[in-house]
Amino acid sequence: MSARYGMVIDLDRCTGCGACMMACAAENNVPPVPRATPRTGLTPMLVRKVSNGGEGVDRREVFIPIMCMHCERETPCVGVCPQQAVEVDKATGIVMQMPQRCLGCRYCMTACPYHARYFNWWDPQWPAGMEKALNPGVAVRMRGVVEKCNLCHARLHSATQKAAATGKREINPADYVPACVEACPTAAIRFGNLADKHDPLSLEVRSPDTFRFLTRLGTEPKVYYKSKEAWVRALAESNSGSGVETKRG
Amino acid sequence: MKVTRRDLLVWSAGATAGLLFTPVPWKLLDDVSIWSQNWPWIPQPTRGPVDVKLSFCTLCPNGCGMRVRMAGGWPVGVAGAGCHPVSRGALCPLGFAAHQLNWHPRRLSRVCYRGNTSSWGEARVAFTKACGEGPIMIIDGHPGRAASSAFETFVQRRGSYRVVPGQETRALAPYGTWSGIPAAALGYDLENAGTIVSFGAPLLDGWGTPGRLTRLWAERAAGLADPQLHLIQVEPSFSRTAARAWQYVTIRAGGEGAVAEGVARVLLEEHLVPARGPMPSLTLVEVAEQAGVSTDAIRDLARTIVARPPVVAVADDNNPAIAALNVVLGAVGARGGIVRRSKHIRQDVCAEAAIRGMRAVLIDSTVPWDFVPQTDAEVFRFAAWDGGSTKADWLLPAPGFLEDLTDVPTAPTSGMETYAVAPSLAEAPTEVQSAAQFLSSIDPTLVTVDKVIHTRCSEIFRQRMGTLWGQDVTPVAKFVSVQKLEEELWKGAVWIGEPHHAGGLRCQLNDWPEAIGPARTSNASPPWLVPVLPSLASKLYQESGLRESPEGRSA
Repeated sequence: MSARYGMVIDLDRCTGCGACMMACAAENNVPPVPRATPRTGLTPMLVRKVSNGGEGVDRREVFIPIMCMHCERETPCVGVCPQQAVEVDKATGIVMQMPQRCLGCRYCMTACPYHARYFNWWDPQWPAGMEKALNPGVAVRMRGVVEKCNLCHARLHSATQKAAATGKREINPADYVPACVEACPTAAIRFGNLADKHDPLSLEVRSPDTFRFLTRLGTEPKVYYKSKEAWVRALAESNSGSGVETKRG
Repeated sequence: MKVTRRDLLVWSAGATAGLLFTPVPWKLLDDVSIWSQNWPWIPQPTRGPVDVKLSFCTLCPNGCGMRVRMAGGWPVGVAGAGCHPVSRGALCPLGFAAHQLNWHPRRLSRVCYRGNTSSWGEARVAFTKACGEGPIMIIDGHPGRAASSAFETFVQRRGSYRVVPGQETRALAPYGTWSGIPAAALGYDLENAGTIVSFGAPLLDGWGTPGRLTRLWAERAAGLADPQLHLIQVEPSFSRTAARAWQYVTIRAGGEGAVAEGVARVLLEEHLVPARGPMPSLTLVEVAEQAGVSTDAIRDLARTIVARPPVVAVADDNNPAIAALNVVLGAVGARGGIVRRSKHIRQDVCAEAAIRGMRAVLIDSTVPWDFVPQTDAEVFRFAAWDGGSTKADWLLPAPGFLEDLTDVPTAPTSGMETYAVAPSLAEAPTEVQSAAQFLSSIDPTLVTVDKVIHTRCSEIFRQRMGTLWGQDVTPVAKFVSVQKLEEELWKGAVWIGEPHHAGGLRCQLNDWPEAIGPARTSNASPPWLVPVLPSLASKLYQESGLRESPEGRSA
């Protein structure tokens, strides 16, 4: 049975601690490039701070973790890639990026409406000896390729191997949890299989408080957001920029 | 047959066209592309058998439970351990990249004497000489550890032992003064509170055991229109906690104590609490002037906080006015308030910045880098990372993250007594030594850390109290031998003592204490205790603009 892995990020629970960013980068062997700037850095998971523009007691803030939305229909990055380095995995619904095929043209970065793709400008380097502290499950990507969130695909691979070792075809859902979901101290990021009607996530995405960004583009992203605050839900169709206080903006 | 120039050209053109229909040029192009992107100097992760071990974070005294993924004998990933009863699977952001700290460019790897390379032998000779010439002082940042016992034993006949308490412990100091019970034996019973009023404490941003309150808030308050837990933040700046609080009260910087006085006055005047006590010295109008809020807002705040009891006020630092508010609220020694978690902790003396009359001062690596003693004594400072511009005479490289065996006593704000053991999981460089190892090399009769841990495990087994939280929850009384208990603790289990002694704490107010301004005027950044952040954290915070990095701060 095919899966459709997705997420619901409850913005009312996000405290903006950044644990998801840190866990994501550590899990995926993102190098700490000191030369990188907010525009050239590599942050597959990026938490943005957005305010409602009010002052004093009227001020409201929300922290929005932004990552690849894993668009399901007319996936913009897939269509523009001349190398077939991006594809939607039919078995999981994950938008996969294959760095070995990528030639670094960055069309996909231009096409992505969520700005969730990053170009690897430099050779990945760590202090001498630190390769011993890298995650052996994730290959280090080379300079000159585009990177993005792949829902910790290495963990899915491990879960599949574990299931296969016991003669099963289906993985145990508890064995496949992306690093950001595992790290979130308030359980604001929830993960599951949208194709499974018994999965709590399938019910949660139908909640009236749940929304997705830029749905008018018709790309059917599988990352949902949730908030009870109307001004936060109104951000869903904004083009970006308004009120965003991060440096990347 | 004569080969003409034309034949040669035709043959060349045909060969070129034909080659394009073979995979050769495309394969070559692909290989060149891959080859030019995969330089031999690009590091590859170490391969080896993958294993997961339970341990505890030692970057601060809170000791959050961790699951450490090991590959080839090295930690390669860190995640929270859900079986830890206090941190409950959550870690602060630094914890997730803490295993990379051991390779930080500012890692200390050699003994330095006044900026010049020296040796452990010379440091030993200098410290031994100092011990013979006059009194010495040992300053500890995480008191209550096995290493702390070794420090105290060493200085018994040679000088004095002092501690540098964290802000959370300092905030509990007034209750210690008024009740005679050491502040280190007190904690917050937040799990049973109905309303938490925070006066500038970054409750959702790394305060205490980071996972404890965030988990609690997420379960009982986040996103609920009528939450079971009311979190009220009184603060001058719009912090992360203020952004997520149920109610945010904006005040003038330094006005926290005045607001506490104003709220207490309203509670007493309007008989909103059963307590009787001295009336605060400030009138509501004076409070309003000092704190920059209206008198109506103070009255509203007082009425709001008592609407959902039990109520507890949390201060960012030592502020007797806020502690006095807790006395008025009846939160001291009560369920959902300030509780006594242990009967056995003794009073430690806090280190003053100005140290006089000492021949030498030894500062353990657990002391925050910001603590800089003003002294003429010879300073021996242990540190794993160089936080910049130290005034220490001797800078001695200490073990880094998970490189040294240590035990983890109760976290400063915890309402329950805990004990755990964090074994060494990473191989330490040959040139580092902990302060306890250094002292043992000077005095071979000194008790070692592993022996103190064994003694403490034996004591837990002998008392047969509490439970052990590991893969399973097992009462200590069910263990048949101390070896078995110790084995479980070394594997990452946590011992939890008996429930807190709420009734054993009483504070009586005779006079209203004077308010003290906060030590920290802005909580834009959480109080990281390590002198450097993991490089990954510096990068992500710089690129996202989410936090200010403490890099470059000087001590």
